[in-house]
Amino acid sequence: MLIALAQIAPHLGNLKKNLALHLETAAKARREKADLIVFPELGLTGYKLRDLVETVALDPGRAPLLRELKSLSREIALVVGFVEERPDEKGLFYNSAAFLAKGRILHVHRKVFLPNSGMFEEARFFAQGDHFGTFPSPFGPAGMMICRDFLQLNAGYLLFAGGSEIMITISAAPGRGLAGEKGFASSRMWELMGESMAFFTTSTVVYCNRVGVEDGMTFAGGSFVFSPSGRLLAQAPYAESHLLLAEVDPGAIRKARKTWAWKRDDKPAVTLNSLQRTLLHHDD
Amino acid sequence: MTINAPLAVKILTAFIREELTKAGFQKGVLGLSGGLDSSVCAALAALALGPENILGVMMPCGASFTGERDDAGLVAKHLGIRTETIDIRPMVEAYFEKRPTDDRIRRGNKMARERMSILYDISARDRALILGTSNKTELLIGYGTIHGDTACAVNPMGDLYKTQVRQIAAHLGLPERIRTKAPTAGLWAGQTDEAELGMAYEEIDLILFKLVDERESRKDVVAAGFEAAKVDRILGLIRGSEFKRQMPPIAKISTRTIGHDFLYPYDWER
Repeated sequence: MLIALAQIAPHLGNLKKNLALHLETAAKARREKADLIVFPELGLTGYKLRDLVETVALDPGRAPLLRELKSLSREIALVVGFVEERPDEKGLFYNSAAFLAKGRILHVHRKVFLPNSGMFEEARFFAQGDHFGTFPSPFGPAGMMICRDFLQLNAGYLLFAGGSEIMITISAAPGRGLAGEKGFASSRMWELMGESMAFFTTSTVVYCNRVGVEDGMTFAGGSFVFSPSGRLLAQAPYAESHLLLAEVDPGAIRKARKTWAWKRDDKPAVTLNSLQRTLLHHDD
Repeated sequence: MTINAPLAVKILTAFIREELTKAGFQKGVLGLSGGLDSSVCAALAALALGPENILGVMMPCGASFTGERDDAGLVAKHLGIRTETIDIRPMVEAYFEKRPTDDRIRRGNKMARERMSILYDISARDRALILGTSNKTELLIGYGTIHGDTACAVNPMGDLYKTQVRQIAAHLGLPERIRTKAPTAGLWAGQTDEAELGMAYEEIDLILFKLVDERESRKDVVAAGFEAAKVDRILGLIRGSEFKRQMPPIAKISTRTIGHDFLYPYDWER
């Protein structure tokens, strides 16, 4: 299976231009015979939206823009990032990821961990999601995370326990710190988590970050794919637009899980038990 | 749109007093044009700090707008504040003499920045903070010169629409002449805001109030009976002038960057 990662620079607050950018990039990926193309977090809207959030919100059930992507998904499966507002939850805006294939939206994940410290202020503008779900995809059981979700240890575990074999993270991570030799200092934490998560969940880990500049912040790029044995399959350059292609071996999961029995030996009941005990004594 | 004027005056005078005294200043300075906004600002400052602590600087450009100068004098007298008059024409002409232009916008902006430059010098000379006089209407539609009339130390007027400034002026009992004259940016003779904007302030303010304060969509505002072309014009002006309302973006490189994640209050330990 061939996965394409669209390391693009979306236009802030401009759905029309971003749709065009998505279509154009997806067409390139199709020419390369990719089965799936993954776009970055809030790729259809741009990241630092602030009060623009409400003006670019889409209803997954009705938005014409998503309908266009749905029909495209008959040719190539897509993961896209957008602002979600459903008619039954008016005025609640979610930072969401949709998995589209065969003309339908198969799953929508709402970002759970909204970064709201330092340079981030997402919880001022977004409502938070409340679960990590594994869903059947044409490429096996899959799960999605959005940016900071990926860095919280429990998110990857919940997808692992839920049976995900491919974990897709879409991101809009700014680069910061230039003291290192390679890329941004902040890129290291994503790569560290990517390698660890792939190895310790014996799953394919796909991480698509964006590039470009918004209000002075430069997005780091450096998108990557790790194999279920924790091997780096492909990585995009830092801070420049790129269409990354990664050939993923469907047999690799079985091979990794035969070698390393993390999945077989996992005990979700112990996790649940321990969490319940912890919660009993937890202050909040 | 109508506000509680006595309460607004109480809040704004307290704001001026606190912001200045916390920064270690007793005196305020502002450009006094003879127009509504600077007159109201001067009146609020006089109430907050005492008229003897307020300097109104009148900065005409040559002999034009003598009527404006008279009005500024009238307000100063009415409030009992000190004044100083500086003709900016020699400075402005010294520049344009060698770089002639008929571009009224360039000339106007140069004048606005000349006035800013003088106010900042007087601020240092007198140990007085500059009080900004840009109102919410102007700030939202970008009807002002960046680093010119929008430059200041504190702005007591920035959350009052033009029509609300009129309300405050009436409450403060400012001279009738000041309250009823046609607003002008004073960049060239015969200029009036409303002719230039193609709309009356009453209408602009109502549209802005719906879009901004009431968070209504373009569709809602048009449905409420406002002309679509006017609403679009205002939306375009708001969008196009965001750069005037913010500090310029700093390119983030390090792990801690001014404006991004180096965030301290303006009133830091004051």
